Amino acid sequence: MSKYSEDYTPAEMVCVAVAREIEDGDILILGSFTPLAFVSYILAKVTHAPNIMYMAYSSVDALPFQLTFATYEAAATKGGVARWNMTECIHSLYLGVGVDVEPISSIQADGYGNINISVVGDYQKPMLRGPGGAGAPEVVKMHRKMLAYFANHNKRTLVPKVDFVTGTRWKISSQERLKAGLRPGPIKLITNLAVLVKEEEGRPFRLASVHPGVAVKDVVDNTGFELDTSGDVPETERPTKEQIRILREQVDPYGMVAFDFIPGKERPAYLKSILEKELQALGY
Amino acid sequence: MTTKERVLAQNKVGKLTEIGRFIRDGDSVAIGGAWLSSHPMAVVRQIIRSGIRNLHVMTILGSVDIDMLVGAGCVGKVTFSFVSMEAYGLAPNFRRAVEKGGLKYDEISGLAIIIGFEATGRGVPFLPYRGPFGSDYLKQRPEFYKQITCPFTGEEMMAVPAIKPDVAIIHAQRADPAGNIQIEGTAGSDLELAKAAKRVIVTVEEIVPTDVIRENPFKTKIPRFYVDMVIEQPFGAHPTSLVPTYVADPWHMMTYMDMAATPDSFRNYLHQYVMKSEDDYLEAAGGLKQMNLLKKLAREVKSL
Repeated sequence: MSKYSEDYTPAEMVCVAVAREIEDGDILILGSFTPLAFVSYILAKVTHAPNIMYMAYSSVDALPFQLTFATYEAAATKGGVARWNMTECIHSLYLGVGVDVEPISSIQADGYGNINISVVGDYQKPMLRGPGGAGAPEVVKMHRKMLAYFANHNKRTLVPKVDFVTGTRWKISSQERLKAGLRPGPIKLITNLAVLVKEEEGRPFRLASVHPGVAVKDVVDNTGFELDTSGDVPETERPTKEQIRILREQVDPYGMVAFDFIPGKERPAYLKSILEKELQALGY
Repeated sequence: MTTKERVLAQNKVGKLTEIGRFIRDGDSVAIGGAWLSSHPMAVVRQIIRSGIRNLHVMTILGSVDIDMLVGAGCVGKVTFSFVSMEAYGLAPNFRRAVEKGGLKYDEISGLAIIIGFEATGRGVPFLPYRGPFGSDYLKQRPEFYKQITCPFTGEEMMAVPAIKPDVAIIHAQRADPAGNIQIEGTAGSDLELAKAAKRVIVTVEEIVPTDVIRENPFKTKIPRFYVDMVIEQPFGAHPTSLVPTYVADPWHMMTYMDMAATPDSFRNYLHQYVMKSEDDYLEAAGGLKQMNLLKKLAREVKSL
């Protein structure tokens, strides 16, 4: 019998693909609300990477915790070995020893390694005023790998050129990164369709793998920038049965991982249903 | 107060309704907390009740604090790196004000704004760091980001100027009457705000004798020589969290998002929840029963 699962959701596929980017011993940050990323950290920690450490809010190196909606900040705080503030975190982790991975999600991304979380349209009079970059400008530039995930791989998100460069990888090839005092590592975009990788300045993103059931053409047709699809494009490794079991039974029983995949209008109802289940499980 | 006056003052305890002694129309106000955690919401609501206007609010990672002040018409300008309601979506009043109302804003990358506050706290006019090279922040804010060369190694660095708020407002677990502030959970960069601001107001869950502070001195994050006024205001961060004391209130956040959907319904929100008094606010938000639930949820969490 195959160890791979046939029964997984698109969100679980992306979550497992992100978790596989995490190596044992990595330093990670739980930043602004990106539940899929949080689930992927905990999944990695309880499976192949038990020695990773993460900073969550002010809590350093928390024990693995269940991804609930109402209580995960409190859970991370309770399980930590230290409590730091944000200044200590940015000075030591972002700027000092260096973070390995912190998956982000953005309104737009382009083929140059830029992301936009700021505005769509004109900067001073935007059509959409987004949240702004928070730590993302440094996350995408300084961290060992630049990792971004997208629930909707389409030409509105993956665009020829972002409207505003909130953050950029800046130096991409190993040689250029080392010269600028940055650790070498690729740019990886993990979407609901595929994994795209960029490792050099002058060359387009390479289609590294397509998820099971997705054709290369689907990816090209839905990407607003040039892709290198030469050679055989492999299939993304599926989630294993064990990973899916651990996700559903331990790490994410309420389905927080699916949050980014739910259309905006349906999210309040989804959150309410998670809350109800959470309280029920606690006996309220 | 001068630093000496702050050291000499033994009793800085004030009432929420007295914040006008330290916050005035047109002030720049740095707001503590981060994401949906530890924002000084009771003071935010009191600013609205007191009709203080034309503020230049500053936040590192803002949410309902900034959104509420903007929606209530108290804000002339926002300096921020991030304003979002996180799981609940984009900040509705903030978005409307920028997209339709032309609200003035200064968007600065997250590390730069923290380092700008730090510069003031250290008494220097700027600090260098490996800034957001290649980003459009540099084009939009050339007056804020200056590329400089390290005089020792020749490396290219980014200099950011000292940010000098008039007032910092912070919410924390505990203080003594002299203003020694204990923070137990998510802290944002509250200490840097306190160091940078000319005047510092801190609301706390409880005011205790100094002896109690001395029992756990490692919890004290802001010593009294930075603080002008302390106010005892239980649940002063509601609807945001104050872990490990209480979690954020998802039910109230959903109510807020529903009512902030249009300017008309947001006026109803202010009328229904904010405009009377802080006691009335907590009662309207579910009273003791709801607040105790939020405390229990924070206590009963387990690791895997």
